[in-house]
Amino acid sequence: MRARYPDHTGRVVRDDISIAYEVYENGGPTIVLLPTWSLFHSRHWKAQIPYLARHFRVVTYDGRGNGQSDRPVDPDAYASQILIADAMAVLDATFTETAFVAGVSMGGSLAAMLAGLYPERVLGAVLIGTSTWLGNETPERNSAAFETRLDRYDGWDKYNMHYWQSNYRDFTEFFVDRIFSEPHSTKQWEDGVGWANETTGEVLVATQLKETLDENREREVLASIRCPILVIHGTGDRIKHYSAAEELAAITGGTLLLIEGGGHCPQGRDPVVVNRAIHNFVELNAPRQEILI
Amino acid sequence: MRARYPDFAGFVDRDGVKVAYDVFGEGATTLLLIPPSPITHSRSWKGQIHHLSQHHRVVTFDGRGNGRSDRPGSAREYTPAEMMEDMVAILDQAEVEKAVLVSHCHAAWWAFLTAATFPERVSGIVAISPGIPFVGDPNQHWTEVAARWKEDPVDPQGWEMCNPAFWRRGGYEDWIRFWFDLLATEPHSTKQVQDMVGWALETDPETMAMANDEETKGATPELADRLCRSVHCPVLVLHGSQDLCQMPGRGRAVAELTGGQFVLIEGAGHLVAGREPVIVNRQISAFVSSIEGRAMKSRTWSRGLSRRRKGLYVSSPIGLGHARRDIAIANELQVLDPDLHIDWLAQPPVTSVLESEGHTIHPASKWLASESAHWASEATGHELNAFQALRRMDEILVANFMIFQEVVDEGNYDLVLSDEAWDIDHFWHENPELKRGSHVWMTDFVGFVPMPDGGEQEAFLTSDYNAEMVEHVARYPRIRDRSVFVGNSADIVPDSLGPGLPSISEWTNEHFNFSGYITGFVPPSADEAAEMRQQFGYEDGQQICLVTVGGSGVGRSLLELVVDAFPYAHKELPDLRMIVVTGPLIEPESLVVPEGVEVVGYLNRLHRHLSACDLAVVQGGLTTTMELTAARRPFLYFPLRNHFEQNRHVRYRLERYQAGRCMQFHESTAEDIALAMVTELSRPIDYLPVETDGASRAARLISELF
Repeated sequence: MRARYPDHTGRVVRDDISIAYEVYENGGPTIVLLPTWSLFHSRHWKAQIPYLARHFRVVTYDGRGNGQSDRPVDPDAYASQILIADAMAVLDATFTETAFVAGVSMGGSLAAMLAGLYPERVLGAVLIGTSTWLGNETPERNSAAFETRLDRYDGWDKYNMHYWQSNYRDFTEFFVDRIFSEPHSTKQWEDGVGWANETTGEVLVATQLKETLDENREREVLASIRCPILVIHGTGDRIKHYSAAEELAAITGGTLLLIEGGGHCPQGRDPVVVNRAIHNFVELNAPRQEILI
Repeated sequence: MRARYPDFAGFVDRDGVKVAYDVFGEGATTLLLIPPSPITHSRSWKGQIHHLSQHHRVVTFDGRGNGRSDRPGSAREYTPAEMMEDMVAILDQAEVEKAVLVSHCHAAWWAFLTAATFPERVSGIVAISPGIPFVGDPNQHWTEVAARWKEDPVDPQGWEMCNPAFWRRGGYEDWIRFWFDLLATEPHSTKQVQDMVGWALETDPETMAMANDEETKGATPELADRLCRSVHCPVLVLHGSQDLCQMPGRGRAVAELTGGQFVLIEGAGHLVAGREPVIVNRQISAFVSSIEGRAMKSRTWSRGLSRRRKGLYVSSPIGLGHARRDIAIANELQVLDPDLHIDWLAQPPVTSVLESEGHTIHPASKWLASESAHWASEATGHELNAFQALRRMDEILVANFMIFQEVVDEGNYDLVLSDEAWDIDHFWHENPELKRGSHVWMTDFVGFVPMPDGGEQEAFLTSDYNAEMVEHVARYPRIRDRSVFVGNSADIVPDSLGPGLPSISEWTNEHFNFSGYITGFVPPSADEAAEMRQQFGYEDGQQICLVTVGGSGVGRSLLELVVDAFPYAHKELPDLRMIVVTGPLIEPESLVVPEGVEVVGYLNRLHRHLSACDLAVVQGGLTTTMELTAARRPFLYFPLRNHFEQNRHVRYRLERYQAGRCMQFHESTAEDIALAMVTELSRPIDYLPVETDGASRAARLISELF
């Protein structure tokens, strides 16, 4: 049972890959809650949808590789250009001319790319626990290379394609534990592990072997962003150190909301503060006639 | 004493008519506060100026016909066009390109006229109880007043008194008193009525008669409608639901015609800026923010479980009295919970004590309007009517509450400790949705009691204040999570809160916990006292008499009287040595003393000297007299005349302890005082002992909240 069901759902098909989207109708501006890494699917926004949908029109979709969408295993199918094109295809398919976008982790970097590349479509972006080249590495993430075959896989060494192919579930349990670093996160952990196991190690390996966005190009796009930006990051994030968020806010001229003691997915673990911040951000930056409180 | 004085005060002069204006503060936005003159003037914004000028530039003026402005003698000098030209001239002279106009009552007409004529000068309008004629619901009374305007009524009653002929033959004040009594529909509005009547009486019936006729001269239903529709800037209308001057339906209609926002203040009357300053201030601030285009500010939000326990201690800033006990309580709280961090919102002179002991002072403290300066300004000689002084502190209390509220809105405090911080307790009861954290209310007396000099009027006023407090606590028990009486049940005076109200003792016992008295230090033993005397240079055989009036400037006249007693006392007591401590606000050199009297400005840790002296002569404040009681020293105390706390509450408590000798300054001669000194020195000390565990008892009571 969900707190709120979509008003309609649909699919866009690109190169035979089908992407499932949901629309929660309302007046006012649209906010697109973007997919994150294929480890999770659109249910990771479950604490945001019912609240935001009371104030705005909300669109979500499952990124390729999980949820109701197809799961290609060819790394080329996960190239960043392709993920950006998926987002634009969903906007078009849902007749969304302009929208706010929000993303978590890899979804945060997707949101930032959309904001930089499509200024005429993106009214503002919320970047949560965003994965970029910026900032310091979290000290604990000093693992062996992703492709190296090891005898044992302890701790961050589990971030390894061979381990995923043989012990995918154990990896997801380990990784989701690092995502929800806040005490008493058992439910969020259970949810996360559940979503992660709706896809496979093989799919996840493909997402990692794709071409990655070059550091200089990323910086260039970030610096070109002109729309309002809200950066949200936990100081206790064990996946991506919060120094990245400070840099991100500085480069984009964005507002920074640091969550002291927060982990990598504050939208799941601290939904109230995140919901209110997103609401406030959209309300302040929406074109005036579109405000509907 | 005001909460805020202007940074600049000037006049504009148009065709020989001078209009006074004031400028406060700085900011990207300027607000022009427009009083509905001439029945009132710029002081009617006293609850707004301090707060708004914290964030913006604020300009106020006295409309022609009242205040410091001229009172021209012909009706055509009071037309709306003249008012508009005055305002534009003020904006020009103050170099304000564009302003948000904030108007009350019929001043809305002038504001709208200005916005329609000079749209480039007006960025927004706040219209409080707007008096735009013909729009929305009419007030039948005004229609009738207009119909009777040229008549000369015989023995007019009520609204009939609004008539120039009646005013000219001496009826103006009757009308004003009737009318403001009527408009203050909220209970317990005595101070606001008194203020409004006072300002209205600063003009004269002739001016009022002329100007009243001109207020909205030329208005027709069509023009009023067109004027509202021609205002294109953002508009905020605030209106009390019980407004008996402008019907709330009028405010709603004005908002609709202007495309503005309508905020109804349920239960409020016509005098909202004065009577509901907190909501009015917050609404104006939010409106200005929306015009400025609020940018989100970067910030850190801490997860609930990631937060350190935090308390905000608001120590009553009237002199140094409560500093030591508050520090003692804070220290005991930190013993119970070493993780508790306490910020202090405090004013000089308390801040200097806090700083010297390493406590954290919240940076917003520097914005607080000075309460101790207010108290000093209220004293004349050895007289201070504490109740009236507190009433007249209303403006400072609003100002400081607004600062406090901003601090708690952002500070994530678990606990607010207010030691007689009247602003917090009062305005949280008046605006209960603003309460943050647990609130501990501490006081060493309960109940305003009238002084005989104040007569029936003061008795009426004190019981009205007490009634409001009783109603506050009954309606919102959740505002005071813990009430701590610094003292014992037996210290409560056997008086009534007022007609129809419970006795002070009954009500206090029901609503408070008792911590016992808190001196903040342990009195010295005989050996320790002897050692201290040596250290202070008090020689064997000398009888040391300390004379002190504490840290405020109040008390010079007492010092002058007491030093005159020295020659008489010295005759009887050849070993007497008198040391006068003037405190930081009285220059020691400025005091003329008889030979033999020593004068010092300051003694480090005065309470230690007091606990080692042979005799003290002091004012009637609780802190010093109880320090002497705890240290079992003989002392004479002189309550300030008309100070209800010193004359009633403190004296009652000291008599229970059988401590000290109460003397009346105005009835005592130097010889009387000398005699009392001799007598008191020879009296055996049979004071009741003062507990030394008060601070830890208070801390335990408080700690139950976390």
